[in-house]
Amino acid sequence: MKNKLYLIILSVGGLFSCQSKEEILRQQYSIEGMNLYQIHCENCHLKDGKGLKELYPPVFQTDLFKRLNETQIIHLLKYGQKGPIQVNGKSYDGYMPGNNRLEALDYAELITYLREKNGIEKTFSLDSARLVLKNFN
Amino acid sequence: MQQKNTFLSSFICLFILISCSEKKELPYLGPKTIQIVAGKSDTIYHKIPAFQFLNQDSVWVNERTFNNQIYVADFFFTSCPTICPKMKTQMLRLYERYQKNTSVGLVSYSIDPDFDRPYRLKTYAQKLQIKAPKWNLLTGDKKAIYQLGEKSYMVTAQEDKNEAGGFVHSGAFILVDKNKHVRGIYDGTKSEEVDHLMEDMETLLKEK
Repeated sequence: MKNKLYLIILSVGGLFSCQSKEEILRQQYSIEGMNLYQIHCENCHLKDGKGLKELYPPVFQTDLFKRLNETQIIHLLKYGQKGPIQVNGKSYDGYMPGNNRLEALDYAELITYLREKNGIEKTFSLDSARLVLKNFN
Repeated sequence: MQQKNTFLSSFICLFILISCSEKKELPYLGPKTIQIVAGKSDTIYHKIPAFQFLNQDSVWVNERTFNNQIYVADFFFTSCPTICPKMKTQMLRLYERYQKNTSVGLVSYSIDPDFDRPYRLKTYAQKLQIKAPKWNLLTGDKKAIYQLGEKSYMVTAQEDKNEAGGFVHSGAFILVDKNKHVRGIYDGTKSEEVDHLMEDMETLLKEK
Protein backbone atom coordinates (compact mmCIF):
# COMPACT_ATOMS: atom_id res chain seq x y z
CA MET A 1 0.00 0.00 0.00
CA LYS A 2 2.75 2.35 1.01
CA ASN A 3 4.73 1.33 -2.01
CA LYS A 4 1.84 2.05 -4.31
CA LEU A 5 1.41 5.55 -2.90
CA TYR A 6 5.09 6.18 -3.32
CA LEU A 7 4.87 5.11 -6.95
CA ILE A 8 1.99 7.45 -7.60
CA ILE A 9 3.79 10.40 -6.07
CA LEU A 10 6.84 9.55 -8.11
CA SER A 11 4.96 9.33 -11.39
CA VAL A 12 3.04 12.55 -10.75
CA GLY A 13 6.29 14.30 -9.96
CA GLY A 14 7.78 12.81 -13.10
CA LEU A 15 4.92 14.17 -15.17
CA PHE A 16 5.48 17.68 -13.93
CA SER A 17 9.19 17.68 -14.48
CA CYS A 18 8.64 16.33 -18.02
CA GLN A 19 7.05 19.63 -18.88
CA SER A 20 10.06 21.35 -20.29
CA LYS A 21 10.60 25.07 -20.16
CA GLU A 22 9.72 25.22 -23.86
CA GLU A 23 6.41 23.49 -23.27
CA ILE A 24 5.52 25.84 -20.43
CA LEU A 25 6.30 28.81 -22.67
CA ARG A 26 4.21 27.32 -25.47
CA GLN A 27 1.27 26.95 -23.14
CA GLN A 28 1.66 30.52 -21.91
CA TYR A 29 1.71 31.78 -25.50
CA SER A 30 -1.27 29.66 -26.33
CA ILE A 31 -3.36 31.02 -23.44
CA GLU A 32 -2.50 34.61 -24.36
CA GLY A 33 -3.24 33.71 -27.97
CA MET A 34 -6.67 32.48 -26.95
CA ASN A 35 -7.41 35.87 -25.35
CA LEU A 36 -6.32 37.62 -28.53
CA TYR A 37 -8.48 35.26 -30.59
CA GLN A 38 -11.51 36.17 -28.46
CA ILE A 39 -10.91 39.88 -29.00
CA HIS A 40 -9.98 39.96 -32.68
CA CYS A 41 -11.23 36.81 -34.40
CA GLU A 42 -14.14 35.27 -32.54
CA ASN A 43 -16.79 37.71 -33.80
CA CYS A 44 -16.66 36.20 -37.27
CA HIS A 45 -14.90 32.85 -36.96
CA LEU A 46 -16.83 32.04 -33.77
CA LYS A 47 -15.75 30.50 -30.51
CA ASP A 48 -15.38 26.99 -31.89
CA GLY A 49 -13.36 28.29 -34.86
CA LYS A 50 -15.75 26.67 -37.31
CA GLY A 51 -16.63 29.92 -39.07
CA LEU A 52 -20.14 30.91 -40.16
CA LYS A 53 -21.69 28.81 -42.94
CA GLU A 54 -20.20 29.93 -46.25
CA LEU A 55 -19.71 33.52 -45.10
CA TYR A 56 -16.61 33.07 -42.95
CA PRO A 57 -14.18 30.15 -43.23
CA PRO A 58 -13.17 27.90 -40.33
CA VAL A 59 -9.80 28.59 -38.73
CA PHE A 60 -9.55 25.56 -36.41
CA GLN A 61 -8.85 22.09 -37.83
CA THR A 62 -8.00 23.44 -41.23
CA ASP A 63 -5.36 22.96 -43.89
CA LEU A 64 -4.33 26.63 -43.53
CA PHE A 65 -0.98 25.90 -41.91
CA LYS A 66 -0.23 23.26 -44.54
CA ARG A 67 -0.99 25.62 -47.39
CA LEU A 68 0.36 28.89 -46.02
CA ASN A 69 3.59 29.64 -44.24
CA GLU A 70 3.76 31.86 -41.16
CA THR A 71 4.79 34.92 -43.19
CA GLN A 72 1.68 34.54 -45.32
CA ILE A 73 -0.52 34.06 -42.26
CA ILE A 74 0.87 37.14 -40.49
CA HIS A 75 0.40 39.10 -43.71
CA LEU A 76 -3.21 37.94 -43.79
CA LEU A 77 -3.80 38.96 -40.16
CA LYS A 78 -2.08 42.33 -40.55
CA TYR A 79 -3.37 43.43 -43.94
CA GLY A 80 -6.60 41.48 -44.13
CA GLN A 81 -7.97 39.43 -46.98
CA LYS A 82 -9.83 40.57 -50.06
CA GLY A 83 -11.06 38.14 -52.64
CA PRO A 84 -11.36 34.37 -52.59
CA ILE A 85 -9.38 32.10 -50.28
CA GLN A 86 -9.36 28.30 -50.13
CA VAL A 87 -9.90 26.61 -46.77
CA ASN A 88 -10.33 22.84 -46.47
CA GLY A 89 -10.97 22.61 -50.21
CA LYS A 90 -13.75 25.19 -50.14
CA SER A 91 -13.58 28.67 -51.59
CA TYR A 92 -14.62 31.66 -49.47
CA ASP A 93 -15.04 34.99 -51.18
CA GLY A 94 -15.44 37.61 -48.50
CA TYR A 95 -13.60 40.44 -46.92
CA MET A 96 -11.54 40.39 -43.76
CA PRO A 97 -10.30 43.70 -42.35
CA GLY A 98 -6.62 43.94 -41.42
CA ASN A 99 -5.35 44.79 -37.97
CA ASN A 100 -2.55 47.23 -37.58
CA ARG A 101 -2.51 47.31 -33.80
CA LEU A 102 -0.97 43.90 -33.17
CA GLU A 103 2.69 43.72 -32.06
CA ALA A 104 5.25 40.99 -32.66
CA LEU A 105 4.44 39.29 -29.34
CA ASP A 106 0.73 39.30 -30.21
CA TYR A 107 1.44 37.50 -33.48
CA ALA A 108 3.69 34.99 -31.74
CA GLU A 109 0.95 34.21 -29.22
CA LEU A 110 -1.92 34.19 -31.68
CA ILE A 111 -0.11 31.94 -34.13
CA THR A 112 0.98 29.57 -31.35
CA TYR A 113 -2.69 29.29 -30.38
CA LEU A 114 -3.88 28.86 -33.97
CA ARG A 115 -1.19 26.25 -34.58
CA GLU A 116 -2.44 24.30 -31.55
CA LYS A 117 -6.01 24.46 -32.82
CA ASN A 118 -4.76 23.13 -36.14
CA GLY A 119 -2.95 20.20 -34.60
CA ILE A 120 0.54 21.66 -34.38
CA GLU A 121 1.90 21.91 -30.84
CA LYS A 122 4.82 24.13 -31.59
CA THR A 123 5.63 27.63 -30.34
CA PHE A 124 5.89 30.40 -32.87
CA SER A 125 8.72 32.34 -31.31
CA LEU A 126 8.86 36.05 -30.66
CA ASP A 127 12.06 36.26 -32.71
CA SER A 128 10.39 34.64 -35.72
CA ALA A 129 7.46 37.06 -35.44
CA ARG A 130 9.85 40.02 -35.27
CA LEU A 131 11.74 38.78 -38.31
CA VAL A 132 8.55 38.39 -40.36
CA LEU A 133 7.34 41.88 -39.43
CA LYS A 134 10.73 43.36 -40.24
CA ASN A 135 10.55 41.90 -43.72
CA PHE A 136 7.23 43.62 -44.36
CA ASN A 137 8.73 47.05 -43.91
CA MET B 1 -56.30 24.03 16.24
CA GLN B 2 -54.34 21.43 14.32
CA GLN B 3 -57.04 21.27 11.71
CA LYS B 4 -57.19 24.99 11.41
CA ASN B 5 -53.45 25.11 10.72
CA THR B 6 -53.70 22.48 8.00
CA PHE B 7 -56.52 24.38 6.46
CA LEU B 8 -54.56 27.60 6.53
CA SER B 9 -51.41 26.09 5.04
CA SER B 10 -53.30 24.38 2.24
CA PHE B 11 -54.98 27.67 1.51
CA ILE B 12 -51.61 29.38 1.27
CA CYS B 13 -50.30 26.62 -1.00
CA LEU B 14 -53.27 27.01 -3.28
CA PHE B 15 -52.76 30.73 -3.39
CA ILE B 16 -49.09 30.34 -4.34
CA LEU B 17 -50.01 27.85 -7.04
CA ILE B 18 -52.54 30.20 -8.57
CA SER B 19 -50.25 33.18 -8.51
CA CYS B 20 -47.45 31.15 -10.10
CA SER B 21 -49.55 29.87 -12.95
CA GLU B 22 -50.72 33.35 -13.76
CA LYS B 23 -50.01 34.03 -17.41
CA LYS B 24 -46.93 36.04 -18.21
CA GLU B 25 -47.70 39.09 -20.26
CA LEU B 26 -45.21 41.05 -22.30
CA PRO B 27 -45.10 44.82 -21.96
CA TYR B 28 -45.92 47.28 -24.72
CA LEU B 29 -42.80 49.33 -25.38
CA GLY B 30 -42.55 52.88 -26.68
CA PRO B 31 -44.55 56.04 -26.15
CA LYS B 32 -48.24 55.69 -25.41
CA THR B 33 -50.92 58.20 -26.20
CA ILE B 34 -54.26 58.49 -24.47
CA GLN B 35 -57.08 59.19 -26.81
CA ILE B 36 -60.49 60.32 -25.63
CA VAL B 37 -63.33 59.33 -27.88
CA ALA B 38 -66.92 60.05 -26.86
CA GLY B 39 -65.95 60.53 -23.24
CA LYS B 40 -64.04 57.23 -23.07
CA SER B 41 -60.26 57.16 -22.80
CA ASP B 42 -58.29 54.69 -24.86
CA THR B 43 -54.56 53.91 -24.73
CA ILE B 44 -52.91 53.88 -28.14
CA TYR B 45 -49.68 51.90 -28.09
CA HIS B 46 -46.61 52.67 -30.17
CA LYS B 47 -46.79 50.91 -33.55
CA ILE B 48 -44.42 50.13 -36.43
CA PRO B 49 -45.64 52.37 -39.29
CA ALA B 50 -45.95 51.54 -42.97
CA PHE B 51 -42.69 50.93 -44.85
CA GLN B 52 -41.61 49.51 -48.17
CA PHE B 53 -38.20 48.08 -49.08
CA LEU B 54 -36.67 45.56 -51.48
CA ASN B 55 -35.51 42.17 -50.25
CA GLN B 56 -32.72 39.85 -51.43
CA ASP B 57 -34.94 38.57 -54.26
CA SER B 58 -35.70 42.15 -55.39
CA VAL B 59 -39.27 41.68 -54.17
CA TRP B 60 -41.10 44.51 -52.37
CA VAL B 61 -41.60 43.86 -48.67
CA ASN B 62 -43.80 46.11 -46.55
CA GLU B 63 -45.46 46.08 -43.16
CA ARG B 64 -48.35 44.04 -44.59
CA THR B 65 -45.90 41.20 -45.31
CA PHE B 66 -45.98 40.58 -41.56
CA ASN B 67 -49.75 40.64 -41.12
CA ASN B 68 -50.82 37.76 -38.85
CA GLN B 69 -47.20 37.15 -37.92
CA ILE B 70 -45.02 37.98 -34.99
CA TYR B 71 -41.57 38.96 -36.19
CA VAL B 72 -38.05 39.70 -35.03
CA ALA B 73 -36.14 42.60 -36.59
CA ASP B 74 -32.52 43.69 -36.50
CA PHE B 75 -30.15 46.11 -38.27
CA PHE B 76 -26.92 45.07 -39.98
CA PHE B 77 -24.75 45.53 -43.06
CA THR B 78 -23.10 42.87 -45.17
CA SER B 79 -19.55 44.21 -44.85
CA CYS B 80 -19.81 44.63 -41.05
CA PRO B 81 -16.58 43.59 -39.35
CA THR B 82 -17.84 43.81 -35.76
CA ILE B 83 -21.00 42.48 -34.11
CA CYS B 84 -23.07 41.43 -37.17
CA PRO B 85 -21.63 37.93 -37.46
CA LYS B 86 -22.55 37.24 -33.83
CA MET B 87 -26.04 38.59 -34.42
CA LYS B 88 -26.43 36.51 -37.54
CA THR B 89 -25.33 33.39 -35.66
CA GLN B 90 -28.09 34.05 -33.13
CA MET B 91 -30.68 34.94 -35.79
CA LEU B 92 -29.83 31.63 -37.48
CA ARG B 93 -30.97 29.87 -34.29
CA LEU B 94 -34.36 31.54 -34.68
CA TYR B 95 -34.41 30.71 -38.40
CA GLU B 96 -33.78 27.06 -37.74
CA ARG B 97 -36.21 26.83 -34.85
CA TYR B 98 -39.13 28.57 -36.58
CA GLN B 99 -38.44 27.50 -40.17
CA LYS B 100 -41.77 25.66 -40.46
CA ASN B 101 -43.82 28.04 -38.31
CA THR B 102 -45.67 30.41 -40.66
CA SER B 103 -46.66 32.63 -37.71
CA VAL B 104 -43.06 33.81 -37.27
CA GLY B 105 -41.10 36.12 -39.55
CA LEU B 106 -37.53 37.46 -39.46
CA VAL B 107 -36.27 40.69 -40.98
CA SER B 108 -32.84 42.34 -41.18
CA TYR B 109 -32.62 45.92 -42.44
CA SER B 110 -29.35 47.02 -44.02
CA ILE B 111 -27.99 50.29 -42.68
CA ASP B 112 -25.60 50.49 -45.65
CA PRO B 113 -28.29 50.28 -48.34
CA ASP B 114 -26.30 52.14 -51.01
CA PHE B 115 -23.72 49.34 -50.98
CA ASP B 116 -26.06 46.50 -50.00
CA ARG B 117 -28.09 46.38 -53.19
CA PRO B 118 -30.44 43.39 -53.54
CA TYR B 119 -27.83 41.35 -55.44
CA ARG B 120 -25.35 41.81 -52.57
CA LEU B 121 -28.04 40.79 -50.07
CA LYS B 122 -28.71 37.76 -52.30
CA THR B 123 -25.08 36.66 -52.18
CA TYR B 124 -25.04 37.18 -48.41
CA ALA B 125 -28.25 35.17 -47.98
CA GLN B 126 -26.90 32.35 -50.12
CA LYS B 127 -23.68 32.18 -48.12
CA LEU B 128 -25.67 32.23 -44.88
CA GLN B 129 -27.95 29.57 -46.40
CA ILE B 130 -31.18 31.41 -45.64
CA LYS B 131 -34.22 32.25 -47.75
CA ALA B 132 -37.05 34.76 -48.03
CA PRO B 133 -39.89 34.99 -47.10
CA LYS B 134 -38.91 33.39 -43.76
CA TRP B 135 -35.96 35.76 -43.40
CA ASN B 136 -36.08 38.98 -45.41
CA LEU B 137 -32.93 41.06 -45.84
CA LEU B 138 -34.05 44.56 -46.79
CA THR B 139 -32.55 47.55 -48.55
CA GLY B 140 -33.91 50.88 -49.74
CA ASP B 141 -33.84 54.57 -48.98
CA LYS B 142 -31.16 55.16 -46.37
CA LYS B 143 -32.99 57.97 -44.57
CA ALA B 144 -36.17 55.93 -44.38
CA ILE B 145 -34.28 52.97 -42.87
CA TYR B 146 -32.50 55.12 -40.26
CA GLN B 147 -35.73 56.81 -39.31
CA LEU B 148 -37.55 53.50 -39.01
CA GLY B 149 -34.74 52.20 -36.83
CA GLU B 150 -34.54 55.16 -34.47
CA LYS B 151 -38.16 56.25 -34.26
CA SER B 152 -40.04 52.99 -34.64
CA TYR B 153 -37.78 50.14 -33.52
CA MET B 154 -36.11 52.47 -30.99
CA VAL B 155 -32.53 51.38 -31.71
CA THR B 156 -29.37 53.15 -32.90
CA ALA B 157 -28.67 52.92 -36.61
CA GLN B 158 -26.60 55.51 -38.39
CA GLU B 159 -23.48 56.32 -40.31
CA ASP B 160 -20.33 57.02 -38.31
CA LYS B 161 -16.99 57.36 -40.04
CA ASN B 162 -15.15 56.77 -36.77
CA GLU B 163 -16.59 53.30 -36.29
CA ALA B 164 -15.01 50.18 -37.74
CA GLY B 165 -16.88 49.55 -40.96
CA GLY B 166 -18.27 53.10 -41.07
CA PHE B 167 -21.60 52.54 -39.36
CA VAL B 168 -22.82 52.36 -35.80
CA HIS B 169 -25.75 50.19 -34.90
CA SER B 170 -27.04 48.38 -31.88
CA GLY B 171 -27.00 44.63 -31.62
CA ALA B 172 -30.66 44.61 -30.67
CA PHE B 173 -33.28 42.09 -31.73
CA ILE B 174 -36.72 43.70 -31.65
CA LEU B 175 -39.79 41.54 -31.07
CA VAL B 176 -42.96 42.79 -32.76
CA ASP B 177 -46.44 41.33 -32.24
CA LYS B 178 -49.23 40.64 -34.75
CA ASN B 179 -50.58 44.16 -34.30
CA LYS B 180 -47.14 45.73 -35.00
CA HIS B 181 -46.50 46.69 -31.38
CA VAL B 182 -42.95 46.38 -30.04
CA ARG B 183 -43.07 43.85 -27.18
CA GLY B 184 -39.41 43.28 -26.36
CA ILE B 185 -35.85 44.36 -27.15
CA TYR B 186 -32.97 41.90 -26.63
CA ASP B 187 -29.21 41.84 -27.10
CA GLY B 188 -28.79 39.79 -30.26
CA THR B 189 -25.10 39.18 -29.63
CA LYS B 190 -25.69 37.08 -26.49
CA SER B 191 -27.10 33.59 -26.65
CA GLU B 192 -28.68 33.80 -23.15
CA GLU B 193 -30.61 36.90 -24.21
CA VAL B 194 -31.80 35.09 -27.32
CA ASP B 195 -32.94 32.17 -25.15
CA HIS B 196 -35.05 34.70 -23.28
CA LEU B 197 -36.35 36.08 -26.58
CA MET B 198 -37.45 32.60 -27.64
CA GLU B 199 -39.38 32.17 -24.38
CA ASP B 200 -41.12 35.49 -25.00
CA MET B 201 -41.89 34.48 -28.59
CA GLU B 202 -43.69 31.41 -27.25
CA THR B 203 -45.71 33.65 -24.91
CA LEU B 204 -46.55 35.99 -27.77
CA LEU B 205 -47.57 33.15 -30.10
CA LYS B 206 -50.19 32.10 -27.54
CA GLU B 207 -51.60 35.61 -27.35
CA LYS B 208 -54.86 36.11 -29.21
